[in-house]
Amino acid sequence: MAEEEDPSSYRWETEYEKTWESIHEDEQGLLQGSVEEILHRNKRLRLQKKKNIRLGMMRHLFVIVDLSEAMAVQDLKPTRHLCTIKILEDFIGEFFDQNPISQLGIIITRSKRAEILMELSGNAKHCMAGLKDIADAVCVGEPSLQNSLELAAQTLKHMPGHTSREVVIILGSLTTCDPSDICSTIETLKSQKIRCSVIGLAAELRICKALVQATEGTYHIILDEHHYKEILYNHISPPPASGITESSLVRMGEFSSHVSDAEGKSSLCNCHLDSKVPGEKFGIGGYFCPQCHSKYCELPVECKACGLNLVSAPHLARSYHHLFPLENFKEVNINNRTDSELRYCCGCQALFTEQTVYRCTQCQQLFCLECDLFIHDTLHTCPGCSSSRNFNMGI
Amino acid sequence: MSAEEGNLLVVIVDTNPSVKLMMKGKNVLTHCLDSVMVFSNSHLMISPLNKLAVIACHSHKSSFLFPKPQNDDSEDDRPTDGQYELFAQIDRCVKDGVKQLVLESPQETLHMESVLAGAMSMALCYIHRIEREEKSRQKLSARILVVTASGDSAAQYMNFMNVFFTAQKQNVIIDACVLDKDSGLLQQGCDITGGCYLKVTNVSALLQYLLWVFLPDAKTRKQLVQPPPVHVDYRAACFCHRELIDTGYVCSVCLSIFCAFSPICSTCQTAFKLAPIPALKPRKKKTKTGL
Ligand SMILES: [Zn+2]
Ligand SMILES: [Zn+2]
Ligand SMILES: [Zn+2]
Ligand SMILES: [Zn+2]
Repeated sequence: MAEEEDPSSYRWETEYEKTWESIHEDEQGLLQGSVEEILHRNKRLRLQKKKNIRLGMMRHLFVIVDLSEAMAVQDLKPTRHLCTIKILEDFIGEFFDQNPISQLGIIITRSKRAEILMELSGNAKHCMAGLKDIADAVCVGEPSLQNSLELAAQTLKHMPGHTSREVVIILGSLTTCDPSDICSTIETLKSQKIRCSVIGLAAELRICKALVQATEGTYHIILDEHHYKEILYNHISPPPASGITESSLVRMGEFSSHVSDAEGKSSLCNCHLDSKVPGEKFGIGGYFCPQCHSKYCELPVECKACGLNLVSAPHLARSYHHLFPLENFKEVNINNRTDSELRYCCGCQALFTEQTVYRCTQCQQLFCLECDLFIHDTLHTCPGCSSSRNFNMGI
Repeated sequence: MSAEEGNLLVVIVDTNPSVKLMMKGKNVLTHCLDSVMVFSNSHLMISPLNKLAVIACHSHKSSFLFPKPQNDDSEDDRPTDGQYELFAQIDRCVKDGVKQLVLESPQETLHMESVLAGAMSMALCYIHRIEREEKSRQKLSARILVVTASGDSAAQYMNFMNVFFTAQKQNVIIDACVLDKDSGLLQQGCDITGGCYLKVTNVSALLQYLLWVFLPDAKTRKQLVQPPPVHVDYRAACFCHRELIDTGYVCSVCLSIFCAFSPICSTCQTAFKLAPIPALKPRKKKTKTGL
C-alpha cells in the first residue's frame, strides 16, 4: 500500500499506476493467461512479505462494525452491510484456525450509540451466531467512534499483560458523533497498549489516521470487495508483539484428553447448562478441566468454574507454523535443463509445463507454482524436506 | 455405493525393512504388499470413477509407485494372460518401484522410523492437484490410507500436525492401519480428519481387515458396523526433548511446549517472569484425567 512507503502521503498523491501496461496478450491473443499469472505473482509476493517476528499469540480482538446509514450504500454488492458480513464470516473462521487460543468479540455502532453484540469469546461457533444477529440488524443513524472505542477499552484493559489487545474498526461512514473529546480517548487507548486499526469503506479520515498512528495500528481504504477481503485478512496473522508486553510461562490445561468415560456414566456438561433441550446436557465422553473436573463437550473453552484456558494439544499445534515458517522457495528456470529426472514436481508429480519452477532452498527439490502456493499457504511443510532424513524435520 | 461420485484413494505403504515386524519373516513385506495390491484393485473395481495412487514410504525417502510421473511407454507392459490392463500396470509399477527403493536405500544407516509425514504431504499435494483437474468433470472425494508398522515418531510431530490440519481443511480423510505397534500421532490424525484407526496384530489376516474396514467410502461407512473408536492419545511432543508428554508448560509468546520450567524460551528467546502463575499450581497432583 502507498501508506507503507510514506506514511504522510495520501493515496491520491502517489504516482499514477498504469496497471494495463503489465498485461500482455499471449500467442492466441488472449489476456486470461496473463491476468492469472499476475494474480499468482501477487499471491507469491504476499507470502514473501510474511516474516517471522515475535508473535503475541494470545490475542484479544474486538471487531467494531459500523451499522450506520452509510452501510446501506450499494457500492459493494449487494450492500456494504451484507458484503461486510460475508467477508467477516470467512475471516472469523480463518482467525480461529490460525489463532487457536485467542478471543474475538464484536461491537456494533449505530444511532450514535455502541453496544457489545458479543463479548470476547474463543469459540468460532459463538462468533458465527453473533454475526447472524448483525445480518438481521437495520442500518440507521450515525456511528460513534468514541463510544465504541471506550466500550472496547473497558473490556480489553482487563486482559492479562502478556496477551495482545487489538481493535479493528470497519467504518463506512464519513462522520462520527462523539460525546466528548476523542483525542483524550486516543491517549487512553495508547496508554493501555490497545492497537487500533481501521478499514475504511469510503475515504480517508484525519481522525482515524491520528488514532492509528497513536496506537500503532494500520489504516486502509478499500478499493473493491477483493481488496477489502485482503485488508481484513491481514489481521489474521498476529501483529508483531511490542517489546513491552510481559511474558510468562503459563501452565495450561491443554493436555486434557478426550475421555470416552470408561465407566460409561453420562454426566452433565458445562457448556449446555443453559440449554433448554432436555437430553442435550448429558452425554458420555467430553473434555475435563484438569483443575476442577468440569466437563465440556468441545474445546477450546475457558473453564466456567475456574477460568482456566482449556485447549487440546492439537489446537496449539495449529499455530506452530507461525513459529517455524517454511522458507520461501526460489524461482528457477528449467529452460536449459536436460536431465529428465527433474521434469516433474516433487509434490504433485505433475510434469512441468511452465518454464519457471520453484526450488526449496533446503532439500533442493523442484515444485510447480500451484504446489508452491499450496505448500506455503496451507500445508506449511515441504514434502521434499519432510520425506528426506537429511533435512530434519519439523521442530 | 453411489455411482456419480468418484473416490480418490492414496495408499501409503511403509516398506521400511528395519521395522521389527519385517524382521520376523522373509515374506512379511511381500505379504503386506500383496494384500495392499489386492485391496487397491478392489477399490478400482468398485466404480469406474475411482482413482488410485500408491506411495511407498521408506526409511530414507518416499516416492510414488503409481502413477509414475514420467510415462515411459517404451516398456512393453501389455498383459499376456488377459489381465485387466490397468491392474497389470499397477502391479508392475509397484514391484519395480519397491525393488528400486530397496536397492537405493543406504546400507549403513537404516532408521527405525519411516518418513511418513513426508509421504503424507506428498499425497496431499497430489490430491490437491487431482481435485483441481477434476473439478469441472466430477465430484471427487479423497482419502489417504496409511499402512505402517513403524510406530510413533515424535521427531516429526510438527510435520504430522501440519499434514493433519491441511487434510482436515481439504476434507481429506486419513485412515490408518497399523501393524504391530500403536501410533499416537496417527490416532490423532484419524480423529482430527474423521478417519478410521485400526491396529492389526495378525498380519496374515491383513487383507481381510483392509477390505472390511477401509474399502467402503466415508458415506457407506455410516451404514456399516465399524470397529469401536479408539481412546485417542492427545499428547503433544515437547520442544526440548521431542518426547510425548502429558502435562507441561506453554510459552505465552509463542506457545512452545516444554516439559519443565525454564527461565528462557528456547524458541523465541523470551525471558519469563519468575515462577509460573501460582494459582494454577495445585493441578499438578490431580492426574486422574491424565493418561
Ligand atoms: Zn476448571
Ligand atoms: Zn506440483
Ligand atoms: Zn524442501
Ligand atoms: Zn517462546
